[in-house]
Amino acid sequence: MTMEIKREPSLIAKLRTSLERLRQSEDQLSLVLSLVIGALVGLVVVAFILLTGRLAARMYPAGGSGWRRILVPTLGSLSTGYLLWRYFPFARGSGIPQTKFALFINDGRILFRTVLGKFFCCSASLASGIALGREGPSVQVGAGLASVVARNLGLSPKQVRALVPAGCAAALAAAFNTPIAAVLFSLEEIMGDLHAAVLGSVVLSSATSWMVLHLVLGDDPLFHVAGYQLVHPAEFGVYAVLGVVGGLGSVCFVKLLLGLRAWFMRFPRWTVWFQPVAGGLTVGLLGYFVPEVLGVGYNHVEKVLNGDIVLKMVVLFAVLKIIATAVCYASGNAGGIFGPSLFIGAMMGAAVGGVAHSMFPGFTAGPGAYALVGMGTAFAGIVRTPLTSVIMIFEITRDYTIIVPLMISNLIAFFISHRLQKQPIYDALAYQEGVHLPAAHSRAQADRMQVSQAMRTSPAVLSPDLQMAAVLLQSKNGGIDALPVVDEKGLRGMLRISEVERAIAQGALNKNVAETLGQDSAGYSTADELPHVHPDHNLGLALERMGASGLNVLPVVSRANVRQLLGIVVLDDILDAYGLAKRGNPLEPNE
Amino acid sequence: MAINFAGRPFLGTFGLVFLAIAVLFATDTFLAKTDRVESAVEAARLFEQGRALMARGNNDEAIGRIKDAIAIERGNRAYRQTLAQAQFAAGKTADAESTLAELLQSDPGDGLASLVMARVLVKESRFAEAISYFHRAIYGRWDRDAAESRLRVRFELIDLLEQHKFTEDLLAELLPVQDQAPRDLKTRIRMGRLFLLAGSPTRAAEVFRGIIHDNPADGAAFAGLGQAEFVRGNYRAAQRDFQVALRLAPDDQPTSERLALCNEVIMLDPTTRGLWPAERFRRSLHLVERTLGETTQCVGQYPSPELQGLLDSAAKAVKAHVTASRQSEAAESNLDLAEQLWQARKKGCKSPPTADSPLALVLARLSQ
Repeated sequence: MTMEIKREPSLIAKLRTSLERLRQSEDQLSLVLSLVIGALVGLVVVAFILLTGRLAARMYPAGGSGWRRILVPTLGSLSTGYLLWRYFPFARGSGIPQTKFALFINDGRILFRTVLGKFFCCSASLASGIALGREGPSVQVGAGLASVVARNLGLSPKQVRALVPAGCAAALAAAFNTPIAAVLFSLEEIMGDLHAAVLGSVVLSSATSWMVLHLVLGDDPLFHVAGYQLVHPAEFGVYAVLGVVGGLGSVCFVKLLLGLRAWFMRFPRWTVWFQPVAGGLTVGLLGYFVPEVLGVGYNHVEKVLNGDIVLKMVVLFAVLKIIATAVCYASGNAGGIFGPSLFIGAMMGAAVGGVAHSMFPGFTAGPGAYALVGMGTAFAGIVRTPLTSVIMIFEITRDYTIIVPLMISNLIAFFISHRLQKQPIYDALAYQEGVHLPAAHSRAQADRMQVSQAMRTSPAVLSPDLQMAAVLLQSKNGGIDALPVVDEKGLRGMLRISEVERAIAQGALNKNVAETLGQDSAGYSTADELPHVHPDHNLGLALERMGASGLNVLPVVSRANVRQLLGIVVLDDILDAYGLAKRGNPLEPNE
Repeated sequence: MAINFAGRPFLGTFGLVFLAIAVLFATDTFLAKTDRVESAVEAARLFEQGRALMARGNNDEAIGRIKDAIAIERGNRAYRQTLAQAQFAAGKTADAESTLAELLQSDPGDGLASLVMARVLVKESRFAEAISYFHRAIYGRWDRDAAESRLRVRFELIDLLEQHKFTEDLLAELLPVQDQAPRDLKTRIRMGRLFLLAGSPTRAAEVFRGIIHDNPADGAAFAGLGQAEFVRGNYRAAQRDFQVALRLAPDDQPTSERLALCNEVIMLDPTTRGLWPAERFRRSLHLVERTLGETTQCVGQYPSPELQGLLDSAAKAVKAHVTASRQSEAAESNLDLAEQLWQARKKGCKSPPTADSPLALVLARLSQ
């Protein structure tokens, strides 16, 4: 008789089998990873909050000298500025545009080094009193961790991209203690689509992160606010005024920030590492006289929310915070604008409420109620996420009674901001960096026929110093209205063949491309202004732009760098892609 | 969607992530604990600064420090209670009320918060609500010296009731503290007087008798007992006690005045035991005469027919000649007439009679 000995599989083997099964099932894997990323990001953000708080306590001990308020932010911005320039170039600024760039352009790819840089540089920078917030950086850290985990598990780019919003939501849920607003923000701002397919994983990770936050730090809202309510229906008028003030204030802040950022970007590249000192020194000097300007200032926000205000002081705080935050951000410090938006909004609200309450004490609530609504108003005006801002204020304060006035003010501020500042702040910041983030509209049409399906390599690429005679030769075999001109920095413009022919007719054979391009009647001075398309644009948009520019060809450029020429798209190729007759172009599209 | 695995260590990555989670959890817990401890120390420092400022009377600045302490340690009820006290002391009653409302919302049984709320409401002259909060303080939870605190609160409430003459409520508050109150002489005399004020002369007399038992030479106790007896209508006993009180404290002017009043009542009272019929008749006639005088003075020229009838009867009784054999009967008739006239005067005259005039006191006794 033979005995068969059947061995039980070891624990590791069982685990391996379970994980193997897990990785075969996409839904289960997504579920598990959402939970894991939620927990991981929640813990990292909690560590970030605690570390920043403890560092700040060390840098500003009780009873410390006033000079610290100048020295600490200056030195903090100098040291973090160097680290950001030398080691973590992608960890500058808020983190939201960088996250959107990674999500829509870079296959969800965020380096672990960037995550580390963001974590430590931001922590040091915010602790030193730089007037920026922790929430935007937390979002990038969260998105980065999700990306790192997903890529290390060997997931496809599509799966990586699906997990990045989950990381964002988890980070914001822990940073603001607002799990619902975090979900909405991920969908409304990051994804730009409230019906995104990733909703399930975003909700799961946000909830997990929030639970972790509660487990470690307990159940405490960001701000403790006395209960407010609408005193009289006429108050809606005052809230509408607050919406107007908030909208105009938001536009001022955004325009100042963008203007300063553009100004700083005009300096030589070698100055980048110490540019943040301008922010540090500004906030230090302001903070020497008005300490409330230092840091994100949530403790002062809470005081104002509870009606503890002096009218002149809140106006001063709002103005100084706008200046300090704009300079700190524009000069390249690491930190976000969520927190400062809330501060600015609370001060503006308290100012409006203070005036209203002194004029109509029997018909209006105290200034604290207006400060509360003002926070949401500024958030809606600056960040342009009206739905998120309403829910966020509700979650931050856990006060439901003020929600209708908040909605009214938010919508007015959003409308004014939208009218006076066409591009949302994060898109505008990315645009300044030469990154063209896809608009929600173009993302929504991603399933339609895209430029990438009809684009081809350019038959000829002109050098700026090429002479007209040579250009004419190159243009003959294309059948297209213009040719791209590329210099050492990338795409410089499109030279119309008609311009070449006119130059030759005038006998200017020795005239070079650069001179002719400069005389182009369209007069596009930069590549940003040049009519172009991105590979993910739909073909309908390409046709529209061809019509607007009067050319049958458009350059196709990278979203990450608009000067990077990827190819061209020609009218015939578009018609061909739609199954219509060609005009006789012999060249085939490259995809 | 196809899953593209590039042969990465799936298990290893998961293991690393879980390890990171465990390490981060431990780190966060440690950091949070340290943060809590340091925050508590900082909050306590600010709170002590606030208390020191309060003690110096600088309540506005104290409020700022205590609020800073609360911002660090939001859950500390003692800080919030002190904040409310500072706000109250600074005259910011609305702020104090708001702070206390929050405290009481989270713990309605908070004795100290209820007490401060009661004080705030007293300052705002919202007495009914204040009394309710005093009761919540009395029956609420006290962290230290609960029995003493409750007694102190009850006496504070008694002070309020005494000050605003809420006599019915006052008796209800006095009864529970009767046995708990301190046994010192001053408190006992106060208790006796409070019982008198609350309309319980019998209990007041008991208290004063107890004091006299322990301190037979205490003039104030005799004066109090005299007053209790006087209120009860025992004018003879009151007279004796007032006389003793004045012997022990000759300069006691109020007692001297009470004794004079007491003497006047005794002289006027026709129901005093042991009077001869002639004296009883004389006093009854005097009583009718005084009642008629007072009524005529207040009703004016056009009294009601009913009152006019009584006035005529009284005038007739005053002038009537009564033989010695009929004096007892006439005395009873006079007393009846005086009482009727007094009741009619109460209805017919706009101004009420003085409550502690000898005439009013005697007639009140007659009506009993």
